[in-house]
Amino acid sequence: MNFNIEIPASKNELIELLSEYKNKKYRIGAGCTDLIMELRKKPEDDLTVINISQINDEDFNNIKLSNNKIVIGANTNVVKICTNNEVVTNFPTLKEAAQNLASNQIRQVATIGGNICTASPSGDLICALMALKANLEIIDFAGNKRSVSILEFYKGVRITDLKKSEFLSSIEIDLNKVNPKNMYSGFIKIGTRKSMECSVVSLAYHIQLNENYKVISAGLAFGASAPTVIFAYDACDFLINKNITELKNNEIDEFANHILKYASPIDDLRATAWYRKQVLFNISKSILEEFSKTN
Amino acid sequence: MQKTEVSKKIKISFELNNRKINMDVKPSSLLLDILRDELGMKGTKPGCNEGECGACTVLINGNAINSCLYLAVNANGKEITTIEGLVKNDGTLDHVQKAIIDNGAVQCGFCTSGMIMSIKSIENYYLSQNNNVKNKKKPNKEEIKKWLEGNLCRCTGYIKIIDAAEKVLINEE
Ligand SMILES: Cc1cc2nc3c(=O)[nH]c(=O)nc-3n(C[C@H](O)[C@H](O)[C@H](O)COP(=O)(O)OP(=O)(O)OC[C@H]3O[C@@H](n4cnc5c(N)ncnc54)[C@H](O)[C@@H]3O)c2cc1C
Ligand code: FES
Ligand code: FES
Repeated sequence: MNFNIEIPASKNELIELLSEYKNKKYRIGAGCTDLIMELRKKPEDDLTVINISQINDEDFNNIKLSNNKIVIGANTNVVKICTNNEVVTNFPTLKEAAQNLASNQIRQVATIGGNICTASPSGDLICALMALKANLEIIDFAGNKRSVSILEFYKGVRITDLKKSEFLSSIEIDLNKVNPKNMYSGFIKIGTRKSMECSVVSLAYHIQLNENYKVISAGLAFGASAPTVIFAYDACDFLINKNITELKNNEIDEFANHILKYASPIDDLRATAWYRKQVLFNISKSILEEFSKTN
Repeated sequence: MQKTEVSKKIKISFELNNRKINMDVKPSSLLLDILRDELGMKGTKPGCNEGECGACTVLINGNAINSCLYLAVNANGKEITTIEGLVKNDGTLDHVQKAIIDNGAVQCGFCTSGMIMSIKSIENYYLSQNNNVKNKKKPNKEEIKKWLEGNLCRCTGYIKIIDAAEKVLINEE
């Protein structure tokens, strides 16, 4: 592994560098936990890493509340995400995904922006952020900003909508319409062992209910069972306006099938495609069954 | 902004075990490599080199990280502690090191410095949380296990290591 490095100290310096490197070879590095592994396996000649981890910018490195939204700077590390009060109270699915990502050592340096831009089909934060229907704020080499829904960001295996000379600046999530006690939100990660696992299957859910347990908003996404993390539109539509405590067994099966139909897993060293589908079906059912048991 | 020519070295300065270090590093050097090969701190071990085993754990500003996945240039301006930095000037060992020895929590020793640095990071976290608080918070056994999930041991097994961590983090005042 051999590369040159640029170390911008501010977002403006980063923008200047992106403009300078418009026609040159470069990679952005944040926590570099994915990038170092990738460059070790596939070294590249004449590469420059634009190392954004020393950018000193409160908004880029932290989480803040603004206008009914939570705004998470792309360089925020995973530890901050699982311990931030706003995230813990409003978005349990994101907190749980962050808490179970890799190990404490990696959570200290890995960033949310790196997780999103690596575009792994098993990216844990991607999965939770899809269930939350987050928006991504992107800036280009000329300082222009644009916003794209995370639901439209992934185009194929490790391919995103991010163009050369753009970077991810922040992630915005709308606050819930209901208060936290009417929210049913979590993250299920199934792997071959409990710690440090790369998921065999993962499922993020974020469901908002009215006072009578009727579903008024639903977000469901799964990981590690298709070329990208997938948002299960039909499963969300299926739940809308239903009373979550009164679902019959056949409805719960129908719901799980609405998730499963999006799955196209592969056999790999961690699990077979058949096993992944079974597990996805079972954990999908389990979230509705668990709700009836615990409420 | 620091600019570099092809493979030009970068100047960094940081504190290593309370000692000021100024040095030039290759842009692609990893913290693990400069600690072991250039600064002679061989207590930090290279295991998997993939962030899986935790043998290379060191503290940056008190928090545990894997030095095998950390760019040396990012050490600039930070405080780094390795296992060598835990021994007091008069040669006495840190209480985490003592607890590991007293509990027989070492066999080959390859994981040990990483384990100890991770246990130190838990202690640091609770110290910062308990600053000026009356009812001091302590981790429970499950929380200790969760904190140590990034450290593998292939010979001692985990029981004695976790016992040692509990001794320091829960039982000691
Ligand atoms: C041992 C180990 C275990 C792991 N376990 C998990 C796990 O359980 N779950 C999981 O989801 N992931 C896991 N990962 C993967 C990785 O740690 C995460 O994806 C992490 O969030 C990446 O963040 P980073 O800051 O280190 O990214 P980097 O390595 O710095 O960057 C990753 C990619 O994103 C790009 N990038 C980064 N920031 C930006 C930005 N702001 N704008 C544009 N592009 C950007 C980089 O160019 C690069 O291509 C694991 C990795 C290791 C080594
Ligand atoms: S050598 Fe760094 S985690 Fe194994
Ligand atoms: S003592 Fe040998 S690996 Fe832990």
